[in-house]
Amino acid sequence: MTESLYTFKENLAKKGVFLCFNGPISHDLMVEMGDILKLKMQLQEESISTILKVFSLLIEQTQNIIFYSAETIPEPENTSNNIHLGIISVGYLNNSYFVQGGNKVKNNDVSRIEKSLSKLQKMSKEEIKQFYRTQRKLISPETSKGAGLGFIEVARKSSKPIEYHFKKIDDQFSFFSLKTTI
Amino acid sequence: MKKLVIEPSKSTPFINFDADQNNLLIQGESYPENTAEFYQPVFNWLNQYVNEIEDQEVMVNVELIYFNSSTSKVLMDFFDILDLSAQKNKISVNWIYDAEDEDNLEYGEDFQEDLKNLTFKFSTK
Repeated sequence: MTESLYTFKENLAKKGVFLCFNGPISHDLMVEMGDILKLKMQLQEESISTILKVFSLLIEQTQNIIFYSAETIPEPENTSNNIHLGIISVGYLNNSYFVQGGNKVKNNDVSRIEKSLSKLQKMSKEEIKQFYRTQRKLISPETSKGAGLGFIEVARKSSKPIEYHFKKIDDQFSFFSLKTTI
Repeated sequence: MKKLVIEPSKSTPFINFDADQNNLLIQGESYPENTAEFYQPVFNWLNQYVNEIEDQEVMVNVELIYFNSSTSKVLMDFFDILDLSAQKNKISVNWIYDAEDEDNLEYGEDFQEDLKNLTFKFSTK
C-alpha cells in the first residue's frame, strides 16, 4: 500500500502534474489551491501574465466541477448543500502549463456539452472572443450559479485548442475530462 | 444616499460606492462562491443611485486583478445600467490594470466596445 502511493506520485510526476486534487471539493479549498499555485509560480519567477492565465483556468475548471459535477454527496442531488466531487490537476510539460479537470456527468447531458465544446474547439481565437462577447450579452442573469460563459472563457484563455473526452461509466453516468494549455 | 462598503475577501472584491462623491470603486479579485448573491446588494445600490442622479460627473474605478466568467457577465450588466444613465450624466470608467497583464487590458477594451455612452480610460497601476 505505502509503496504503491509512491508509484502513484511518480506517475503523476512523469506526466508533469505538480498539483492534483481528487474528491469532494469546496469553494474554500479551491481558493487555497489557487493561492499556493500563484505562490509556487511567483517563486519560480513566472510572468504575471502566465500566472494569471493558469490561475484563471484552475478557477474556471474547478468551479465547473463545484457547480456541475453529477457526482455528489448525498446522491442523488437533493438540496443546495450538496458536496460535488471531481478531479483537478495542474502540470508543466514540454514548456507548457496545462490544467486538467474531470467529473461525472449524466449521460443525457453528454451530447449537449460535447456540441458546445466541439464548436469552441474549431473556432479561431478571434471567433472565440466575438462569441464570448455575444454570449455575455445574451445570457440571462437567472442561469444557475455561473454565467454559462465558463467553457468559452477557458477556450479563450487556452493557448491551444481545448481537448476533451467522455468515457461512459454506466447507464447513468459518463466521465468528462477537459484539458487546457498555456 | 448611504455609502456601500463591502470589505474584500480572497475571492470577492472591495466595494466602495460613495454617492456624495459620485465615486464608485471595485477593487481586488472576483470569483465568488455565489456570484448573484454577492452582487445583489451592489445592484440594489446602483439601481437606486442611477434613479437619483442627473447632470452629475461620476467616476467609476475598476481595478480587478482577476475576475471569473460569471463576474464578467455581472460586470456587463453593471456597465449596461451605467451606460443608460450616461445619457443624462457624465460617467467615466477608469479601468486600472497591471502593465504586465495584457489580457486584463483586452478584457477592459471588450467592455468599452460593447458600450455606447460611457467614457473609458485605461491606466496602469
